[in-house]
Amino acid sequence: MFRVMALDLWRDRPALVMTFVLPSVVFLIFSAVFSGTTGLDVKLKVAVADAVHTSGSARLVGALLADKNLRAELTEPQTAEAVRAAVRSGRDDAGLVVTSDPAAPGTPILILTDRSRAVAAPLTEARTRDALERVTPDVLLVRTIRDVTPALGQLTPDQQDNVAIAADEAARGGGTANKPPPLFAQEDVARDQKGGAAVAYYAGAVTILFSLFASTHGALTLLDERRAGIADRILAGRYGMAPVVTGKFLFLVAQVVAQAAVIFATAEIVYSVAVLGHFSLWLVTTVATAIASAGLTLALVALCRTREQAQMLSTFVILILAALGGSMVPRFLMPPWLQNLGWWTPHAWVIDAYQGLLWRDAGAGELYKAWLVLTLTGVVGFFIAQAAARRVRT
Amino acid sequence: MTSGPAGPILEVTDVRHAFGPREVLKGVSLDVRPGEIYALLGPNGAGKTTLVRAICGRIRPSGGQVRVAGRDPYTDGEARAALGLAPQALALYAQLTVIENLETFARLAGLKDWAVVDAVRRAMAVTQIEERSKSLVRTLSGGYQRRVNIAAAILADPKLLVLDEPTVGVDMPAREAIAEALARLKESGVGILLVTHDLDQAQRLADRVGFLRAGEKVLEGAPAALIAEAFGERMEVEVDVAEPAPQATLEAEGLTRGDDPGAWVCLAADGYALAGSLAEHLKAKGVEVREVRVRRPSLNQLFASIVEPRRAA
Repeated sequence: MFRVMALDLWRDRPALVMTFVLPSVVFLIFSAVFSGTTGLDVKLKVAVADAVHTSGSARLVGALLADKNLRAELTEPQTAEAVRAAVRSGRDDAGLVVTSDPAAPGTPILILTDRSRAVAAPLTEARTRDALERVTPDVLLVRTIRDVTPALGQLTPDQQDNVAIAADEAARGGGTANKPPPLFAQEDVARDQKGGAAVAYYAGAVTILFSLFASTHGALTLLDERRAGIADRILAGRYGMAPVVTGKFLFLVAQVVAQAAVIFATAEIVYSVAVLGHFSLWLVTTVATAIASAGLTLALVALCRTREQAQMLSTFVILILAALGGSMVPRFLMPPWLQNLGWWTPHAWVIDAYQGLLWRDAGAGELYKAWLVLTLTGVVGFFIAQAAARRVRT
Repeated sequence: MTSGPAGPILEVTDVRHAFGPREVLKGVSLDVRPGEIYALLGPNGAGKTTLVRAICGRIRPSGGQVRVAGRDPYTDGEARAALGLAPQALALYAQLTVIENLETFARLAGLKDWAVVDAVRRAMAVTQIEERSKSLVRTLSGGYQRRVNIAAAILADPKLLVLDEPTVGVDMPAREAIAEALARLKESGVGILLVTHDLDQAQRLADRVGFLRAGEKVLEGAPAALIAEAFGERMEVEVDVAEPAPQATLEAEGLTRGDDPGAWVCLAADGYALAGSLAEHLKAKGVEVREVRVRRPSLNQLFASIVEPRRAA
């Protein structure tokens, strides 16, 4: 039996490739995707505005723009509102506004974040602190002296007592009255949205992932019909396979819409995600998602010769698309080249559209591009499936 | 439309086809007229399946032409609309009932609501499957499944019905039921192309038969006429001997090995007289003769003579 199994595998070349080549490809892609989640390689997109234009602020902003570990860009105009808009729209992962001279008393740096990318705030703060240490050590020195002067004084015996008392208070977590102002302030750009940002993200991520799984299951009936001879009978008829593929496509679209309705109803009931409040745009986004999912899976299945091939290929494609497109890890944590690659998956568009709609209150003007991409993907897949279903198998 | 009411519903003219360097059809011509059953016979690999695919418009022949109701089935949906195919595989949805299957295929054939009901009722009546109309196809016997397979092919009232091995794997009563259904369809004017290995059924049902061998049509005609032409007044004598049979002794008596183990046959004008003397000769030479049969040659003998020319001699 060992020999039979080995010969069987050796002679089924597609299975051989999928068994030994694909896992390495999947490993390379997954390791690239998941390595970003440690935070070491994250290159955040940060909108930056210098509202004061002092020597210290200019050096800080210059250092941030030159930092290879960030993708910082100046907003136009350089105002807090422009940065706020960039973060709120999702174009940037975080925002930074220099609101006063870093050397002056007070809190000179405002970091703006969206709860959906909460980890971006501490990462941005860390990169900014690093920049300050590198390019404005004088600023830090001035601030440090000013910060410690109330505690140290002239180091007279009384002042030494003061230092000891201040240290004791600091150790106990007290002494807030004398605590120096922090360098950074944070602001959440999210307005009064209900439900978690991550919930809106993963509702979209799960919807596209499972719509592809469910659609694949439905699309596989194309191969069952080919194997059972039903395709032979239908192809000998007046209309050929066109109505069959069309009927399957419409069913899969309806199935995905129903499946998405269940997922988002759960999100609304359990996490108060405002789906009903955005129902019409949600419906358009969901239909576009369903069209992409149905077209893509029908094309994949129709191009395969056997059910086994189709199952292996579709599982591979769905996993890769999910990893690249952000169904497993938020895309902003991936390296920039993977983030760019992600736009070639329906997942990125679906997740971005749902999150834009349900978290950032995006309108049709912001969502139309995702609708077009998803619909076009589905339509192209549909026509590939139609052409493949007509092919003669000899 | 080039075919009038009396013209052939199927015209295959000098059809050639090759898959790469392998020539599968080498200039085959045949026609089927309305109300005629034409049985296409031939061993495996003779080109029957390729010819059926060309007739159904699945492939464009490399040469020659196919016309169904006067039109090219490869390019013209109207030609395919005149054609019903019952494939060799059970081309049915096993998890649906008989009536659900037939309704599905009727709609796929383009019939509208009122016509679907009528077509399903007629198809079930012709194939006599009404009593199992609400059964799931996967729960039906092989014979019933074959009848549903044919019913699904006649929903759109085809002028030409192509049946690929319609009786494979079914018992005698089911074969009879299928034969009755085909007779009814023939009476209604449907031209039937029957691709089969069931030579007894072909001989009984077909108005004409055509033999394909290695991509060429080697014989065509009415079964009785072909048999008469091939064998004349000769009868087939079959001797059933105990194994192991003494081959040299049997061949010396003019016998050749038959289809079954221990069966040896020959053709003779005086079959009955030969049968008696043959049994005596063999017994005298120590061969244990279990049975001697004499019968008129059938398509089986003709088919065997084409596949194995040695036996025709």
